[in-house]
Amino acid sequence: MQKDGIGKQPAIRRIKGKLAGLPAISYALGMLVLFIAIFAVGSATFLTRYNMLTIGNSAAILLAVAMGQVFAILTGGIDLSVGGIMSLVSVVLMKTLEPLGFWAYPLSLAVGIAAGFLNGLVNSRLRIPSFITTLGSNGIFMSIAYMISIKPLSAPSSSFGVLDIVNGTTLGIRNIMLLGVLVFVLFFVIQRYTITGRNIMLLGSNEKMSWLSGVDIFKVRTIAFTLSGLGAALAGVMLASNLYSGYPTLGTVYILNSIASVVIGGTAMTGGAGGVLNTLVGVMVMSVINNGMNIIGIDVYAQQSFLGVLVIIAVAISFDRSKLSVIK
Amino acid sequence: MKTKNSRRLENLFALRSKVSASIVGKLYHSIPISGQIISLGIVALIFSVGTNGQFLHISNIMTVLGLSAIPMILCLAVHQVIILGAMDLSLEGIVAITAVSAGLLLKNSVTANDVGLWIIPIVMLIGGLAGLVNGLLNTKLRMPSFISTLGMSWTLFGVAIMISKGSSIPLRDLRFQKVIISEFLGIPTVFILAILLGLVLYIMQNKTKLGKHMYAIGGNEILAKQAGVKVDRIKISIFGLTGMIYGLAGLLLVARLNSSAARYGNNLLFPAMTAVAVGGVSLSGGVGGALNAVIGTIIVVALNNGLVLMQINPYMQSAVNGIVLISAVALTIDRNKIGIIK
Amino acid sequence: MEKKKIIEFKGIRKVFPGVVALKGFDLAIYEKEILGLVGENGAGKSTLMKIMTGNYQPDGGQFLLRGKPIVLGGSMEAIEHGIGMVFQEGSILPNLTVTENLFLCHEKEFSKGWFISESAMVAEARRALEENGLDINPTTLCGNLSPAQRQMVEITRLLWLSRLYRHENPVLILDEPTTVLLEKEIKTLFEILNRIKEYATVVLISHRLEEIIENSDRIVVLKDGDYVTEMLREKADIFKIEQLMVGRDMVEGYYRRNEQIDPTDSVVLEVKDLAIESILEPISFTLHKGEILALVGLIGSGKEELVKCLGGSMQATHGSIYRNGKKISIKQPKHAIAHAIGYIPIDRRVEGLATDLDIADNINMLVYKNLKVRGFIDKKKERDNATHWMGVVKVKATSHRMKCGNLSGGNQQKVVLGKWLSADAEILIVDHPTRGIDVGAKDEIYHHIRQLAKQGKSMIIMCDTLEEDIGLCNRMLILKDGKKVNEVSCPPDAKPAPTDIIESIV
Repeated sequence: MQKDGIGKQPAIRRIKGKLAGLPAISYALGMLVLFIAIFAVGSATFLTRYNMLTIGNSAAILLAVAMGQVFAILTGGIDLSVGGIMSLVSVVLMKTLEPLGFWAYPLSLAVGIAAGFLNGLVNSRLRIPSFITTLGSNGIFMSIAYMISIKPLSAPSSSFGVLDIVNGTTLGIRNIMLLGVLVFVLFFVIQRYTITGRNIMLLGSNEKMSWLSGVDIFKVRTIAFTLSGLGAALAGVMLASNLYSGYPTLGTVYILNSIASVVIGGTAMTGGAGGVLNTLVGVMVMSVINNGMNIIGIDVYAQQSFLGVLVIIAVAISFDRSKLSVIK
Repeated sequence: MKTKNSRRLENLFALRSKVSASIVGKLYHSIPISGQIISLGIVALIFSVGTNGQFLHISNIMTVLGLSAIPMILCLAVHQVIILGAMDLSLEGIVAITAVSAGLLLKNSVTANDVGLWIIPIVMLIGGLAGLVNGLLNTKLRMPSFISTLGMSWTLFGVAIMISKGSSIPLRDLRFQKVIISEFLGIPTVFILAILLGLVLYIMQNKTKLGKHMYAIGGNEILAKQAGVKVDRIKISIFGLTGMIYGLAGLLLVARLNSSAARYGNNLLFPAMTAVAVGGVSLSGGVGGALNAVIGTIIVVALNNGLVLMQINPYMQSAVNGIVLISAVALTIDRNKIGIIK
Repeated sequence: MEKKKIIEFKGIRKVFPGVVALKGFDLAIYEKEILGLVGENGAGKSTLMKIMTGNYQPDGGQFLLRGKPIVLGGSMEAIEHGIGMVFQEGSILPNLTVTENLFLCHEKEFSKGWFISESAMVAEARRALEENGLDINPTTLCGNLSPAQRQMVEITRLLWLSRLYRHENPVLILDEPTTVLLEKEIKTLFEILNRIKEYATVVLISHRLEEIIENSDRIVVLKDGDYVTEMLREKADIFKIEQLMVGRDMVEGYYRRNEQIDPTDSVVLEVKDLAIESILEPISFTLHKGEILALVGLIGSGKEELVKCLGGSMQATHGSIYRNGKKISIKQPKHAIAHAIGYIPIDRRVEGLATDLDIADNINMLVYKNLKVRGFIDKKKERDNATHWMGVVKVKATSHRMKCGNLSGGNQQKVVLGKWLSADAEILIVDHPTRGIDVGAKDEIYHHIRQLAKQGKSMIIMCDTLEEDIGLCNRMLILKDGKKVNEVSCPPDAKPAPTDIIESIV
C-alpha cells in the first residue's frame, strides 16, 4: 500500500527533512563560509587563485589522514597513531626510493596498512581501549622510524622523476590535488557503498545490536583501523614526496589536525553519526583557518590554541550525551 | 562442550586459588603492590646480568631514583584522575604553560620579574585553574574527559609557546636548581620531594572523605551518586588537584634545567601513562593508588635506564614503553566494567 | 489491629505517557510488620516502591509518613527519613571494603579533624554486622563477597543509617531479594528479616508466592495499577492469590484469536536435552512450521537463557539443536542468522535498533549483499527494499530516510520486524513483542504475528502477561526453576484459563 507512497512528497518537505537530518554538517558549512568571509575581508591575497591552490595542496594531505581517522572515530574509537604511521611511512619511502623506484610507493602504503591492521587487532582481540592501543603504538611506530634513520632522509635526485606522481601536474592540475580527490572518492565509496562501510556505521551506532544481528564486530573494528592506517599511509607518502624528505616526527602535527577535522566536521565522538562527507568539510575549515591565519600573520602556535578551543566547542555541541549514562 | 578457552581459564583460576592459599600467596596478597615489586625484581635481575652488576650499583640506583622523581610526580598527578575512571591527556599542555610561566616570573634574562618563592603557589594556581577547567568541561558540559583534556592540552601548549615567543628562557635564580640537584643522606632531594608528595596523596586517598569518595566514583559513578556522593564536586576537585601537581612538576623541570621553554612539556604524557598502567592503577577506575603510581614510575624509569646502560639504541625506548603500556593495560583492565571497548 | 501506621497512601496516583501506573488507591503499611507485595509485571509494584524512595513523585493523592504528608526528593532523602531500599541489582561498590561501603558518605561520623579513623570505622562496622547476626569480615573487598553477603551488607547499611537519623521504626524495602540466593541463604535472609521486624518494617516484593506467604505477616495484591485485596498470613491461600493476580477473564476475539491457524506437521526446529550448567536442566521440545510457541515462566525459570541459546548470544553447555532435521551448532548470533533464526529483543533501543541511523539502514542491514549492483550497494535497490518492507509491516513514517530514534515504540518494533522479514527469517524469537507499545499498535503487532504464522513462519514468544501468551500461542511450554514442568496446547476454541496455568508456574 505504501510501497510507492513514501518517495513522493512535496519537494519543500523533502528539503526540510534533509536539512534536519544533517544538522552537524550544516554547522561545519556555516563555519566554512564564516571563515572564508573573515579572511577574504581581512586579506586581499586570500581569495587569489594562487592562494586557493596552496589551500588545496595542504588540504589534500590533511584530507587523506582525516579520511582514515574518521573510520576509527565512527566505530566510537580514536586513532592517536596516525602521526607515527605517517612518519614511519615517509622514512620507508625515502629509504626505498632509490633501490625500488616506483615500487617504493606500494611498499610504503603496505607498511602503513599493516600498522593500522595491528592497531585494529590489538584493539579488538586484546580488548584494549583504542586510545591506549594507539598511544602505545604511536611510540612504537616512531621508534621504528628512528631506527631506520635518526636524521631526516632526503630524496635522491635520481628519484625526482618518480616523485612526480605526487608533485607533477596532469592537464594543468597538480597531481597532489587530484590524488586528494581520488582519496576522497575512495573513502566515500567505502563508507556509502560497501557492506563494510555500512557495518562500521552500525557498529558505531549500536555495537550490541550489530553483534546480535550477525555483524562480525572484531573484523569490522579491525578493518576500520586498517583503513585509518591506509589514510595515514597515503598522507605520509603525499607529504614526504611533496617535501622531498622523510623524518621520524613528520606526522606528529597531523594527530591533532586529523582529529580536529573529523570533530569540526560534526562526526560524533560516540561513533555512528557523521562520516566522510562531514570530514571533507571539516578538512576545508581546517585548511582555510590554517592558511588564513598564516596570511593575516597569526603565528602557528596561536593557531594551535585556537584549534584546541574549536575542538572543545565542536565536541561540546556534537557529543551525543543521551548515548552514555556516565560521562567519563 | 566447554570451549578450550574457558577450560584454560578455569585451570588458571584453579592454579591461582591454590597459590593464594599457600603462605607465599597470603604474603603476596597482603601487600597491595606485590605484583609490581616482583616485576621490578625481574627488571633488576635482567639488567644486572646484562650490565655485569653495573645496574645495581648504588650510584646507578641513586641515578634511577633521581631520574624517576619528576615522572613520579606527574604519574602521581594523573593517576588520581584515572582512579575516578576518567582520563587526563592535558598533562603536556599544563606542564608547558606552568613551565613557561615559571620561567617568565622567576628572575630571568628576558623579563624584569622576580617573584622568588612565591612562584610555588603561583604555578600551583595556574595548573590548578587549568585542571579546574578540565573538571568543569567533564562535569558541567558533560564532555568525555579524554577529548576535552586533549583539546585543553593543545590549547595550553599553544598559549605557552606564544607567551614564551617560542624560545627558551634562561633563569638567573639559582636557588631552585641548587635544591633540586642537592642530596640528602645521599638520596636526591627531588626524589624525597616526590616521595613526600606520594605520602600526602596516600593519606588523602585512605584517610579522608575526599579519598573514599573518589574510589566510590571510580567503582561505579551511578551507585556512588545514589549513595549521596557529590560526584561533580569531587571530580572537579580531583581534576583541580591534578592540575596543581602538574604545576609543581613544571616548576621542578624548570628548576632542574635552570631554564624554561614550552617544549619541556613534550613527551611527558606517554611515560606517565605507562607508569600508571604498569603500577597497576586500573584504567577502568576505582583500583590502585599512590603506592602503585610510585612503584610504576620506578619500574618504567629503571627499564629505560637499563636499556641505556646496555647501550641499546635510545630511540628503542619509546617502542619499549609502547609495548609495556599495551601489555600492562591488557593485564590490568577490567573488561566487564568497561563493557564495550572503544 | 493495634499497630501504628508508619506509611499511608491515600488515593495514590501515578500516570506515565499512555499508561496509568497507579490508579488512585489507599494502602497502609504498619510498624513492625513484614508486608508482602505481589502482582504481575506492570501491576504497579515498582512504581509504588519508587514513590516510597522518592524517585517518583505521585501525580495525585497523598503519601503520609508517620502520619504527616511528605515529599521525598530522592533515595538519599528517603534514607534520611528512614526509608531504604535494597535493589535487585544491588548498590554495593565492588572496589570498596565492607566498612567503606557501609559508611559511604557518612565518614564524618568517624573523623578526627580532617582524617578518618579507620579503626573506629572498622570497629563500628563489626558491631553493626554482629548486631544483625552476620559473620562478615569488615575489611574484605565487597567484590569478593557472595551475592547473599552483599545483600546483607546493604541491609546493614540501611539499618545503620536509619539509626543515625534517629528513626524509631525504619522501613526496609526488598525488591526480589531471593533471586540471587541459594536455598540455605534464603533461609538465613528470612531469619534475619524476622529479627529485624522487632524494630522495623519490611516490605517484600517477590514473584515467588510461597516464599511471600510463608514469611509475610500480611499480603497485599495489586493488579493493573490498582489495589485488589489484602490478607493476613493465617488466611492466605496461594490459589486465591494467583487468581486475583491474573484477574479478569479472557476477552473473546482479542489477540486476533479468530485468525489463529493450526500449524503444519513439519518440524522446523527441534531442541534435544539442551542444558546450561546451574541455570537450565535438560529440556527438549519441537517447533512446527507456522506454529507460535509461548515460553512461560518467572524470572529465573531459565526461559530467557533458553532463547539466548537459540539466538546465539549465549552458549548451552549440553544438548543439541536440530534445524529441519539437521544438527546445527549455534555459537554466535551470526550462526543463528545463517540458519534463518531471527531474534527480536525486549529492549529495542539497546539491542534491536541503531537509533542514530535511518529506517532503510535498519531494515536493510542483514541483506546488503542482495542490494549490490556491480559490487557496490545500489541506492535505488536499497530504497526499494526498505520501502517494500515498510509497506508490508506498515511503518508509519514520512520517508525511509527517517531516523529510527524519532519513531514511536510501535513503529520501531515494526522496523525490527521488517528487518528480519527482509532477511527471510523462518523462525522468529520474539521477546516481549508488545513491551512499551500503546494499545492500538499492540493489535497491529498481533495481526502481524498471525499473518506471519499463516505464511509459514514459526515463532517462539515470551509476552508481558500470561493472558497475552495464552491468547497468541498454539502451544505453551511452562518452565519453573530451570525445568520444563508442563506443556499446554492452546487451540483457538479451547484456550486454557490463566488461573489453571499459573499453578504450574509458581
